[in-house]
Amino acid sequence: MTQPEPAAGRPPQDDDPEERTPGLARERTSLAWTRTAISFAALGGVVLKVNVITGLIILAIAPLVWELGRMSRIGSPQTGLPAVGATRFRVITASIVAVSLLSLLVALLGPATHGALR
Amino acid sequence: MSWSGLLATLRPRAVAKDEDGTEPDPRFTFANERTFLAWSRTALALVVAGLGIVQLLPPFPGVPIGRHLLGVPLIVLGAMLAVVAYAEWVRNQRALRRGGPLPRSIMPWILAATIAGMAVVSAVVLLASALR
Repeated sequence: MTQPEPAAGRPPQDDDPEERTPGLARERTSLAWTRTAISFAALGGVVLKVNVITGLIILAIAPLVWELGRMSRIGSPQTGLPAVGATRFRVITASIVAVSLLSLLVALLGPATHGALR
Repeated sequence: MSWSGLLATLRPRAVAKDEDGTEPDPRFTFANERTFLAWSRTALALVVAGLGIVQLLPPFPGVPIGRHLLGVPLIVLGAMLAVVAYAEWVRNQRALRRGGPLPRSIMPWILAATIAGMAVVSAVVLLASALR
């Protein structure tokens, strides 16, 4: 028998103990931001081998992402709730689109190191 | 809704000043944020995979554009996925604020369809390469 789903934005009654604590949710979100920053750094490292300038540009985005993640750790001083600014998410989206375009240019125009994975 | 109306709802200010509804439970806000970040990492992984295929794989004998055929769509999908992830975050956050049902996500469908398509293209490229 399935339980009725709670309405969006309303806390469920008997969920996982880890889910009950907003502090842990904040911690997990903070770690998610860190993983995303590491992903940018890893991509920058890969591109660095192909094109130094493009790789450095992508690497420079990693600390910016990490800094954006810190904002969710700080939270809003008035309410103690996370400072949800849509601008942060827009910056991440714009960064990924820019990185994709740079990668596309490198893929199409850059010198390839064929057979490196042979 | 018109395209300009749809774009207007996605502006950061439109989300931040959404006065319809109340602040949702912070755990749901955090969960929505983590989902967005997970999709962003998936988008980055697709870009890395596409770039790796084009730049690092050896050429397929007899199929000179084989690597580009496999890699470029992955990079384009990465960019597309990032934009859709943002739009979904906005829609979910708005639904949470208003206590309404969460909108159905199209992201898994996009990802599954693309992976299936890429698997077919990979098989065709490999077969064409083997037959030459």
